[in-house]
Amino acid sequence: MADSRDDFIIAIRYALLKKGAKQKFSIFFLISLSIFIIALDKQTYPFLLTTRAVLNDFVYKVAYVASTPGKFVGYLSHLKQSHFYIVDENKNLKKEIQILKSDRYNSIFLQNENKILKKNLNVGNITTNEGDTAIPARVIIDQESPYLRSLLINKGGKQGIFKGMTVFSKGYLIGRIVESNFFTARVLLITDLNSKIPVIIQDTDANGLLAGAGKKTELKLEYLPDEFSLEPNKIIFTSGKDGMLSPGMPVAETYLDKKNKVKIKTLANPTQALIVYVTSGQLNK
Amino acid sequence: MGTLSNIKKFLRNNLIVVIFYFFSFSSFEGIKEYPNLLIFSFNLQMIILYFYVLKFPDSLGIGHVFLAGIINDVVIGITLGTSSLSFLVLIFFTTYIRNATLRSRMASEWLAFIPALFFSNLVYYIIINNFSHMSFYYVELLRSTFFTFLFFPIFYYLFNNFEINSERDNA
Repeated sequence: MADSRDDFIIAIRYALLKKGAKQKFSIFFLISLSIFIIALDKQTYPFLLTTRAVLNDFVYKVAYVASTPGKFVGYLSHLKQSHFYIVDENKNLKKEIQILKSDRYNSIFLQNENKILKKNLNVGNITTNEGDTAIPARVIIDQESPYLRSLLINKGGKQGIFKGMTVFSKGYLIGRIVESNFFTARVLLITDLNSKIPVIIQDTDANGLLAGAGKKTELKLEYLPDEFSLEPNKIIFTSGKDGMLSPGMPVAETYLDKKNKVKIKTLANPTQALIVYVTSGQLNK
Repeated sequence: MGTLSNIKKFLRNNLIVVIFYFFSFSSFEGIKEYPNLLIFSFNLQMIILYFYVLKFPDSLGIGHVFLAGIINDVVIGITLGTSSLSFLVLIFFTTYIRNATLRSRMASEWLAFIPALFFSNLVYYIIINNFSHMSFYYVELLRSTFFTFLFFPIFYYLFNNFEINSERDNA
């Protein structure tokens, strides 16, 4: 019994400390170094932040180059798909243009009506968009991992992009900046588990938090009023209660899935975004 | 001619290290165009590590594994050192299996991959839960681990053939 325990300890010790013929480090040394780095990563000393930002910039640039072959495969696949579906898409777009045209006329009418009503009620316009600029950035890597649904963009602190800023694609909100380096930044997508946006649902006064669940077509609404039932084909807007996002920006919509269950999907397609716009949160363009 | 063959020999001997670094940097953009394939996503780095530490321990330096892990963490966006520690735990476990095994057989090595993966992912889980504020997709991690285990024999056969051919060429 004692012998077998000794053998076990010897084998463990051998595995931890013994270097192979061509190995320069022992496993024990590298495990200790990893633990040290994990502990160090939690600290927020300025020199550590700078080092991390430089390391991030370097790795992101190399990762961009390394992902080129994969992007080429994606490009070929996309080309094939677009070849087959372009006619259908064209037909649908024509229909959509007709609908949008009529909506636009309605919108102009409503705007005028709104102005007149506000004038009569003595309510001034709230111009939150003034002075806010959108910084265009290119997506260099579209990262999907079990931990983060995020994008890496080619602009960072040097171009005025900072943590907390909001990111739009094709006029729709797609996420927020969670990490800003010197020349790159990471965008946490609204489809990520860690993303929470205060929202309000169309035709109701129900407030809630829109949380990601990993997929574009499976968002979740949290903290809704008791006994509130979600209806399909309703647009979900930002409520602006976080003080960052301006209220009234369309983010997602409800729909019926194949099993007739009401689900929520994003209006934007974050994984297809190539050019994004970063703002301080007040702009919907 | 001699220089060319030397370069070829160098590349062949270090190909696995290059592949390992490539997977750390790469984010598999192309595969996202085929969402149905994503169901079968698996961790090739774990398979490479387990196979090479078990069968050809001198082909893959653990210093490279450590560095590739750090790069992987930066690309994914998790706490620095998490992947490195997870990889090193897998190496430690594999080294132990290699020392404790007298006769190596594919089936027994395949089965021993289960606890190796378990401990490696456990370390991952503990660090993510205690050293970051992230939530993560348990089902995806479980699925990826399952397919990593399932696809191991295919890569075992591929890597084994590759190494046997390399040794024959070098001889």
